[in-house]
Amino acid sequence: MSLKDLISPFYVWQRAFEKPYTQKHPIQERPGAPRYRGFHVNVLEECVGCGTCETICQNHAIDMVQVEGLEPKPGDSGLRPKFDYGRCCWCALCVDICTTRSLRMSNHYAWITEDPTDFNFIAGADNMSWNGEEYGYRRDDDYHLLRGERVKMEMLAPEEGLKSFEEVMKGYTEEQAKDEADRCVECGLCVATCPAHMSIPDYIKTVREGDYEKGLRILYETNPFSSTCGRICTHRCEEVCPVGHQGEPLAIRWLKRAIVDRVPRERYREILGDEVVENGKQVAIVGAGPGGLSAAYYLRRQGYGVTVFEAQARAGGMLRYGVPSYRLPDNQLDKDIEYIRSLGVEVRFNTCIGREVQFAELIDDYDAVFMAIGLNVPSSLRVKGEDHPRVLSGLQVLDDVASDKNPGVGKNVAVIGGGNVAMDAARVSRRMGANVTVLYRRRIADMPADPEEIHESQAEGCTFVTQAIPVEIKDADNPDQVTIVWGEAEMVADEKGGRPRPVLQEDRMHEETYDCIISAIGQGGSLDFIPGDYRDQIEFKWGKFVPGDYQQTALQKLFVGGDIANNTADAISAIEDGHHAARGIHKFLTGELVA
Amino acid sequence: MIYAKRRKRMSTQEHNAPIDLESGKYVKIWQGPQHPGITGNMALELVLNGDEVVDCKTHVGYLHRGFEKLMERRTFIQNFPIVCRIAVPEPTFNEYLYAAAVEELAGIESPQRAQWLRTLNLELMRLASYLMWLGGIGASFGQATIYQWTVTHRDYVLDLFEEMTGARVYHMYIVPGGVRAGLPEGFEDRARAVLDGVERLLNEIEKVLFKNVVFKARAKGLGIISKEMVDPYGIVGPNARAAGFTRDLRRDEPYLVYDQLDFDVVTGTESDAYARAKVRHQEMREGIRMMRQILEQMPTDGPFQAKMPNVLHWEVPAGETYVKAECTRGEYGYYLVTDGSQYLRRVHVRGPSYTHAIAVMEKLAVGTNIADIAGLMVSLHTYPPEIER
Amino acid sequence: MSNDPKSIIEELSDHYQISEIKEQKADLLLLKIPKEDAVQFIRELRDGQNYTHLAFMTVIDYIESGIFTLTYMLHNYAAHHNIAVHVDIDREQTEMESIHELWVHAATYQRELREMYGIRFPGSPRLDDDFCLEGWDEIPPMRREFDTVSYSRERFFDREGRITTDPREHMKQIMYPIHTDND
Repeated sequence: MSLKDLISPFYVWQRAFEKPYTQKHPIQERPGAPRYRGFHVNVLEECVGCGTCETICQNHAIDMVQVEGLEPKPGDSGLRPKFDYGRCCWCALCVDICTTRSLRMSNHYAWITEDPTDFNFIAGADNMSWNGEEYGYRRDDDYHLLRGERVKMEMLAPEEGLKSFEEVMKGYTEEQAKDEADRCVECGLCVATCPAHMSIPDYIKTVREGDYEKGLRILYETNPFSSTCGRICTHRCEEVCPVGHQGEPLAIRWLKRAIVDRVPRERYREILGDEVVENGKQVAIVGAGPGGLSAAYYLRRQGYGVTVFEAQARAGGMLRYGVPSYRLPDNQLDKDIEYIRSLGVEVRFNTCIGREVQFAELIDDYDAVFMAIGLNVPSSLRVKGEDHPRVLSGLQVLDDVASDKNPGVGKNVAVIGGGNVAMDAARVSRRMGANVTVLYRRRIADMPADPEEIHESQAEGCTFVTQAIPVEIKDADNPDQVTIVWGEAEMVADEKGGRPRPVLQEDRMHEETYDCIISAIGQGGSLDFIPGDYRDQIEFKWGKFVPGDYQQTALQKLFVGGDIANNTADAISAIEDGHHAARGIHKFLTGELVA
Repeated sequence: MIYAKRRKRMSTQEHNAPIDLESGKYVKIWQGPQHPGITGNMALELVLNGDEVVDCKTHVGYLHRGFEKLMERRTFIQNFPIVCRIAVPEPTFNEYLYAAAVEELAGIESPQRAQWLRTLNLELMRLASYLMWLGGIGASFGQATIYQWTVTHRDYVLDLFEEMTGARVYHMYIVPGGVRAGLPEGFEDRARAVLDGVERLLNEIEKVLFKNVVFKARAKGLGIISKEMVDPYGIVGPNARAAGFTRDLRRDEPYLVYDQLDFDVVTGTESDAYARAKVRHQEMREGIRMMRQILEQMPTDGPFQAKMPNVLHWEVPAGETYVKAECTRGEYGYYLVTDGSQYLRRVHVRGPSYTHAIAVMEKLAVGTNIADIAGLMVSLHTYPPEIER
Repeated sequence: MSNDPKSIIEELSDHYQISEIKEQKADLLLLKIPKEDAVQFIRELRDGQNYTHLAFMTVIDYIESGIFTLTYMLHNYAAHHNIAVHVDIDREQTEMESIHELWVHAATYQRELREMYGIRFPGSPRLDDDFCLEGWDEIPPMRREFDTVSYSRERFFDREGRITTDPREHMKQIMYPIHTDND
């Protein structure tokens, strides 16, 4: 033992003269670090109630609950997470995975309360002292638990696409489809927005698992036009996909296609197990478009005898005559239609109600009638000279092309309109070698066409002239040409809060000459074939049917649907109308539905 | 009742020298599970002859939460907040090893920057853990002042953790695929200041503890681990290094960025309580040296997370691996078995305390004075939760 | 004596029936050995091949095949190399030769495996002493058929007032109830 060792410990005494480490009470003076994981905060207006926080919580500390004043709406379940701090471990995985980034944490250290039930609270809704605090844990910008980038789909190069009517989008490979399906958070917010309420998360799961047969069965529960919708659906589901808040939404439409593309048509019957047991009742359906044939499918499955009356020579309606084959190849539409017909659905082609068959006959001869005749009368431009022979309708051009006829558009074409028909007419004209100018009253962002269609039209070399209002159409010097006078428009805010209105600027007029003008600003329906005494019993508005519950009209036997009876006028709404009418007809004919 | 049950079991043991408790010669006492001289919640069942321990049995289970079982029933991402709880004062090693094992099986490589951040995190953790231990060894030999000093400085390290990870104790920072965030503004300077402070403290402790006649007298010669004991007992880390083994996974099987750092493996000659303390004390200095290099060299931008699948459906291909790291107590390891599903088939967490606190402690306790049991225990540096998992 | 693990295995293959050899990474080799030869094989690795460190031993429950696969993780400090020795044993006839004479701490692992999986290692010291559990009378809890959730449900109760709502179902009830009745 050395003397040094005996003295050394007394070094400790020098500390007596140092400033103490400890801080004085109250400890609240010391705030948490800026990224400290304190207590939960939720920005209620940004949260969409997808419940992904609940899914990832390994402690079961989160419930999704209703909050006063929040109702479900498209893209928002109206539910909000409620936290049980008896279970929470403050790992903040819920914050990391939050699809909208509305969920955060404050940097608050302590929370003391005498009532343990307080520790079960709705972040953001309940009044907490830390709400609105500046700092606390947030997901870092460079850190992700969800994948924001959509898997790209191979497509025909625009210059290649212009050479033919070959399908532009090539579809996902199996691996790509799985990869894209992997991005889904399975919240199901999309289901409410899909007009047909397809079980989207469920069929996406089958893609992930590679079980396409199960996928097909799920698709056919709500949609017998899955091959078609997998290509040209307006996919409103994608607009509400919560993954889209911090990245690109799931490619729901392409995933549907991924399933159908992998199941051969010959195996449908065996996979779907559709058995028809005749129940002896007969239903007439007018229109072999998506609405009519969808009703036919669901009615046939329940044993109804189904006869479809179709004015055209082929089935498919607008899908056949209004959608060009580079977006929806004929054989894919046929795949859907053939399967429906294979269940014993009779289709009478070239049969027009009011001409070959009378409306009254249908009402008298059948137990019920479903009418889905679509819109096939082009809307008028309402400008002077629009009956010029070189003004073609967009629908007519598409119809001609679908029927292998040459619409004769010429070399220089102006298309008027901003919807899908306008885009299709433009792209079809490009494929026939024309230079195409698209004239639209408003801005590109206002166009009702699918963004993909707009994008592809531009890629294929169509020139877009927006905020252009047609004023007059007149003869050109060359009798095979036509001249249009149009004026520039300014967008003026609407006082009533609606979308901005284009206002013609009289001092900025243009005059141009084209080989033809394709008018594609919308279409209406024709209901002239319904005799007056029936007419009086049915409700109409703006030239369309107004159906009640289950698509039924006041004329009890008559159910209506599709473009002629809804305001969305797309295939998927027509399909749901048909399905819903089939439910209604079944209820009506089994006495369940009391009108 | 329990007493009778245990006594009955003991009497059936043939390998122990027969101890007749009825003879009146012996006293049986329980040290723990609530006892200031026990490291965490465990218990030593001691039989004394006078003040000399003649038999020791370690009892664990007071902290058994069934982590390995829980982890078989949670998804790969959901296990991430669980693992840190397996070694309370040293959670980060669990986070790193779990992440590294999952990444290996899933074929994911974490970016360079994440590897530097992870290394920094692990070395900070080592420092915090050693600071607490240093206080413990002081306190268990009656030098409670040391404890007050070291726990204070540990708190400064925890402040750094709070800044870097968002939490003081359970950081949940190293996530499969990378880390959750980069360093906050100005962190490097604040970290250097804390390291400088700890270094000064280590110099003071050198004077106050290691040159202290009382500590020397009690710790030297206490609980000697002979060289021959090391492998048959599975002894690792500072306990083995103090006996002269230059074994350190950071140097022998470099992981993360340790191969880019300059450091020495500290060893002793005879592993008694004093030598083990000395090795750890010196390792803290090495750790500080390493962290200064990291703060100097680490990249300050670039990704810190690998491209990941959607964690909600994450399936890891079937396989198995064993990943290890040098924690303060030695070889800490995660053995993972996957079967291609969204869940682990099996995870085994290998902590050094498993042998140090049971087989080694039970052997070293025999012949020790009861007053030194706490010091011996602490000198082995054990954490019960990693034993019972 | 070679340090190359592959040649070690080759050499030992003459005397032992080694199967399922897999090099997981440069420093980890996995292999399987029949139950009867396992302890002798492990002894050989320890004494003859310098695998002197038992990092841990544990078991994997393959309930669907009725097998427990024991894993002995051995380490060679000189070569910095691990060998995981796997041994399949019957999940019902759960008995395995003890290795407590090779490594002292193996007895603790064996005690734990007895308690948590019900595997017997005859001769292992204090095998039947409780490890973590005291007064446990259920099946060994780490076996896969032991269901922790139902065990907890039987003994504890959930906090009152905790009800969750599924977003998809909730939206359906409120936004489109009649569009979903069955066809």
